[in-house]
Amino acid sequence: MRDISLIVRRVWKSALLFTALSVLIVSATRAQDPVEGRKLFKENCASCHQLDRNSTGPALTPKLKELDEAFAIKWIRNSPALIASGDPQAVEASKFSPAEMTAFPRLTDEQIKNIIAYAQAGEPKKDGAAEGGAQGGGEAAAEGVSNFSIAGVAAIIIISIIVLVVLGRAIKLLERLILKKRGVEVVEEEEVSFAEGTKRLFRNKKFVFFFILMLVITLGTYGWMGMWDTGVHTGYQPVQPIKFSHELHAGVNQIDCQYCHVGAFKSKHSTIPSANICMNCHKAVQATDKYDGQISPEIQKIYTAVGYDPETMTYDKSKEKPIEWVRVHNLPDFAYFNHSQHVVVAEEAIRKAKGLQPNEPVCFACHGPVNTMEEIYQYSPLTMKWCINCHRETQLEVKGNAFYDKIIEAHEKIKKGEKLTPAALGGLECGKCHY
Amino acid sequence: MESNKKYWKGLEELNRTPDFVEKNKNEFAEPLPIEDVLSEAGLSTVTPRRDFLKALGFGLGAVSLAACQTAPVHKSIPYLIKPEEVVPGIPNYYVSSFNGQPVLVKTREGRPIKIEPNPNAGGFFRGTDAQAQASVLDLYDVSKLKNPVLKNAESNWAEIDKFVTSELNKVKASGKKIRIVSASVNSPSARNVIADFTGAYPNTKHVQYDAVSYTGIIKANENSFGKAVVPKYNFDKADLIVSFAADFLGTWISGEEFTAQYVSNRDMKSLKNGKMSRHFQFEAAMSLTGTNADTRVPIKLSEEGPALIALYNALTGAGLSGGTLGNNTVADKAIKLVAKELLQNKGRALVVCGSNDVSTQILVNAINSAIGSYGTTIDLDNPCKRFAGNDAEFAEFINEMNRGEVGAVFVLDSNPAYDTANAKGFADGLAKVGLKVSFADRADETASLCDVVAISNNYLESWGDANSYEGFYSIVQPTINPVFNSRQAEESLLAWSDAPVKEYYQYVRNYWEANILPAAGKTWADLLQSGVINTPAKPAGSYTFSLSLSAVVPAVLSNSKSLAKDIELIVYESAPIRNGKYANNAFLQELPDPVSKVTWDNYIALSPKFAEELGFKEFDVVNIKDDKGYSIDLPVMIQPGQAKGTAAVALGYGRTKSGKCGDGVGKNAYPFTSFTNGTTKYTTTVKLSGTGSREELAQTQTHHSFEGRNVIREATFEAYKKNPAAGSGNDHAKHKTYDLWDKYEKPGNNWVMAIDLNACTGCGSCIVACNVENNIPVVGKDEVRRRREMHWIRIDRYYSYNVESGHDEEGAAGSGGKHSEHSAGISSVTKEKEISHLEEKDMNDVSVVHQPMLCQHCDHAPCETVCPVLATVHSSDGLNHMAYNRCVGTRYCANNCPYKVRRFNWFNYWNDSRFDNYLNNEFTQLLLNPDVTARSRGVMEKCSMCIQRIQAGKLQAKIEKRPLKDGDIQMACQQACSANAIIFGDGNDPDSEVSKALRSERVYYVLEEINVQPGIGYMTKIRNTGTTVHA
Repeated sequence: MRDISLIVRRVWKSALLFTALSVLIVSATRAQDPVEGRKLFKENCASCHQLDRNSTGPALTPKLKELDEAFAIKWIRNSPALIASGDPQAVEASKFSPAEMTAFPRLTDEQIKNIIAYAQAGEPKKDGAAEGGAQGGGEAAAEGVSNFSIAGVAAIIIISIIVLVVLGRAIKLLERLILKKRGVEVVEEEEVSFAEGTKRLFRNKKFVFFFILMLVITLGTYGWMGMWDTGVHTGYQPVQPIKFSHELHAGVNQIDCQYCHVGAFKSKHSTIPSANICMNCHKAVQATDKYDGQISPEIQKIYTAVGYDPETMTYDKSKEKPIEWVRVHNLPDFAYFNHSQHVVVAEEAIRKAKGLQPNEPVCFACHGPVNTMEEIYQYSPLTMKWCINCHRETQLEVKGNAFYDKIIEAHEKIKKGEKLTPAALGGLECGKCHY
Repeated sequence: MESNKKYWKGLEELNRTPDFVEKNKNEFAEPLPIEDVLSEAGLSTVTPRRDFLKALGFGLGAVSLAACQTAPVHKSIPYLIKPEEVVPGIPNYYVSSFNGQPVLVKTREGRPIKIEPNPNAGGFFRGTDAQAQASVLDLYDVSKLKNPVLKNAESNWAEIDKFVTSELNKVKASGKKIRIVSASVNSPSARNVIADFTGAYPNTKHVQYDAVSYTGIIKANENSFGKAVVPKYNFDKADLIVSFAADFLGTWISGEEFTAQYVSNRDMKSLKNGKMSRHFQFEAAMSLTGTNADTRVPIKLSEEGPALIALYNALTGAGLSGGTLGNNTVADKAIKLVAKELLQNKGRALVVCGSNDVSTQILVNAINSAIGSYGTTIDLDNPCKRFAGNDAEFAEFINEMNRGEVGAVFVLDSNPAYDTANAKGFADGLAKVGLKVSFADRADETASLCDVVAISNNYLESWGDANSYEGFYSIVQPTINPVFNSRQAEESLLAWSDAPVKEYYQYVRNYWEANILPAAGKTWADLLQSGVINTPAKPAGSYTFSLSLSAVVPAVLSNSKSLAKDIELIVYESAPIRNGKYANNAFLQELPDPVSKVTWDNYIALSPKFAEELGFKEFDVVNIKDDKGYSIDLPVMIQPGQAKGTAAVALGYGRTKSGKCGDGVGKNAYPFTSFTNGTTKYTTTVKLSGTGSREELAQTQTHHSFEGRNVIREATFEAYKKNPAAGSGNDHAKHKTYDLWDKYEKPGNNWVMAIDLNACTGCGSCIVACNVENNIPVVGKDEVRRRREMHWIRIDRYYSYNVESGHDEEGAAGSGGKHSEHSAGISSVTKEKEISHLEEKDMNDVSVVHQPMLCQHCDHAPCETVCPVLATVHSSDGLNHMAYNRCVGTRYCANNCPYKVRRFNWFNYWNDSRFDNYLNNEFTQLLLNPDVTARSRGVMEKCSMCIQRIQAGKLQAKIEKRPLKDGDIQMACQQACSANAIIFGDGNDPDSEVSKALRSERVYYVLEEINVQPGIGYMTKIRNTGTTVHA
């Protein structure tokens, strides 16, 4: 029964394919999300842990590979409690360093699993486009359906089509077999060449119409989306003259934003720090341990800019050469934006609206998790739509600011009970930002 | 009730000349050449389908390619070492002084960008003049020299020092004279530097002269009272002011300060108290002050002397001969009236005269003594120190040079080869001098004759001080490092005299700490904080004139006789350009003259009748020739109110070496002046002859016309006293208004403005302040002729006849409640095209009203409803917003604006080589206010009510968590106004100054009958005419 075995084999093959694909889909949608885990890691763990190296805490990739998940979750959730409870594994683990690991009671099991997934897998290999896409897409999730889920849906559709085709073929085969068994002479279908098939297909008017319609819709959609994004540079990450890492300074070293960006709380400009601010620390911090006793070449660039000679510890004014940073956030000239207005006056309102944690600076609301950005990139789209949405939705926090007393009084009279947003106080009027 | 006077902006409007009618028909004088395009190839050509597709394809391709640009790369370069006091984005303010006026300099990231009045100044230094506002542009002037010059070649300071000291030593050894020639130096430290220099080189003498001289007053006071000073005039203490051709609100001595004094007796506060001063003006040419007078009597230049003699006779009963005014019966009557009123106001009156003739000023002293002015309205004990020029010394200095006695000349802050009567004599003499050094900042007319141009700093780059009045000192401090390789003149002099202290900062500080600060009990730090030291004034003594006038009267009369023989010409300082020192300042060149509204030119002003007699029409170019043979060709400007038989030409024009912007603008009138009887004389006789050519002046007077709608409301002081609402239209029922639109809610603030027409003198400093604050481009003469000036605020100057036309007059103005409701009704306000019905009256007898006109921020703005792209919309705080980035330039809004205050950007003025000479170059762009967008071509713009200041003021209050206070936010125009004529604030706050002002009975809204609900209220013009004197 050669034929039967053939059928079985074919069906088996199809089933195998189907299963494999299903597993793939399920794993793509359901499994631990290392991308999410990376984000959580950068936010919560990165100040003490590195993946491949011991720092304040042990190197996480080998450590988490050896630990079992249940323990790891318990440990991460609340290690001091675990140690106090006398868990021998925990007591053993606590010997790594006298510094106690912070408890993270608000992390869910799912989140911790994500972190573990990320840490176990290690940092993914840098693939420029994918990296950017994943970051941009992942972080702009609030904006709409993420690229990831679009890809998922597309994959499901394609796979379904394949499955249908395979099943169709299987059914046909079975039918023919049954017919053959009954002794009905089946005219072997003449094998049609591929070229001939394609020709036939294109003679089919329905197919041609459908094909062209799809093509137009696809191209149109891409064109339309592309045009909307013209001049929107979310994720813009130019190469800077000095490889300055916000992750290191703001993340690992926890330097306050204002220490360098002195204008943010006073002026319309947050200001790029002048080199003398860098020199406050980098006169001493030279990262020689990482460069075989040599001064880090990036730090050396600061010295060159200010004309500083680390040997003699002297400055030479004649050798000064300004650092030409590349602007990341480019607001058009006709739009007025004031940092101090947002981070001083509206700090509380923005914090609430964007759900920032108390330990996160208000700057994160628009600039994103700067403390995880190795190189700074544009986090928010900086479009007018984006500005206006926030002005429409943010509830103002005006308690304790005498400026608003009279205005609130007047406002209350007119719009009883409505949410007090910048828009309600005229914040959407053209002249408030364009003059 | 409304006055039935008819107002007109210019003769062309009055006479409805075809040109005017044509140009005024449309909002934009020149139509777009659409028809030309259409008639040529335009619609008749067929675009083939293939061409269309090609163009379409190319267009799509180009757009796609343009959109492919990934991301812009903008460099952002922070400070290397940030100065501690600088936070980018936040302005710093420094106290300083400009020509003796205390000012605040606003700097952004180390660049001075705006001049504001110093609130600590005290006294009557309330605003700033147009020159101070514009002066910040001079700092960035590209026409300045970038390096010092030695013998026509760029050099460096070491070489200059070597050359000058060696030459000086040679001169010293030879025993020849050394002369420092300068305009009046009112800086005590600089005077001390010159004294030190004189110590090192004992043959040195400091010669001071002023282009527009006050030597006559100084000499007269020396003669009469033994005090060789310009006295301190107190216009605020004068209830009656009589001026003989002294333009004290404009250019005379200290115009801005006098404006503040003058207005304090005439503004809304004074009127509320039922008090208003009275002001007579006798003059030949229509001056800014003349336009503000309650009664202005045109007199010929030759009649000034006799008029003064007549006044003296009438006051004292003396019988001096020559006090007859011939057939000028109006002046004769007026003098008698003035004499009567002066005697009634003894001790509260002031007579001033603009003449520089010593005898005339002695006569004026005698008159002031007779009416008890000394000790009250004139203070000789706390004199004005701004002017100390001595014309005779300067004339003698020219003689010395020509005799070859002078070995070295240093020219400091002056330009004698241009702005003196005997410029040629100066130039000839200078050629005989061994060492010629100029401290000019550019190779001007004098500097280009010198061996060394030791370029000096702009005042914004300098240390220094000023002493405007006895006991009143102010500091000058630098706000930027020198833009070019310049060195302050004082520092150069210190270097060359080998003084022990060579750094001028230290020198000034030492001087203040030794001489001024201890007496005032202040420290240097206090001074840098407040900017001024005002020691208590000495009591003003009362002085009596006791000399004989027997020698004075013949001199006055002979002067007058010499003028009467031909057409009498007066050369005067124009309000924008003054003596020509700031001729290269584009802001000032484009500032319309307050009276004639002419920009970018000088002209010869003739009265309408006189021009007709001579056979000249407006803009005819005529040749003006004086006795000495000097002649220039200038276009005629018909000036109502000019005395018949006289002509007037402005000084300060015709510069040849001022720079790219000022060169060749107008003609030089300085050679018409002469050195006569020990002083410079600014009057002469000339002959006029036609040249047959015509040159249109860039005159803004009839641009933006109201089409004859009556927008001015006026009343006499007497009527006002009876009924404060007189003339405002507020004392009777207004007609019912209907509205298509919903009422705007203004829950928070309601930004409104009040403008007091009785305080506004029309000087125009608000215009320049607005230009600098809001990045308003200068467009140049040709563009102004095309009616494309960009000023957001303009001052409309209206003429009206003093004698009513009668035919539609019911009840004289001032009869308060007697009018019938109907006659006073709205009809008399809005009747259009009535101007054309006016018969021509005596053009000499006109009065003037100045009306600042800017965007009225209407609640129901007609511009908003016609904008197809919603680029101009209303805000919830009462403003009319203009979003440039939305504007597509249809210009419908300008067409629909009844106030004609919208301006269209015909060019990209900030990036177009055609405008390079004005503001478009790498240095002057540093002047731009970073908080205001520099508008691009093709968009409409208009007054934003300084929204950047409103937003900044609100933010400051929010950050400090305090309520916004009245006065926290000031408009640029309001700040510059010495007269306090512009009041801005929150209309929702009943206690704000502006709310109080708008509750005045005098408030009316321009064109309120069309119910656009403007946000700016005007207060009626009140004229204290008393008994009128009309022909």
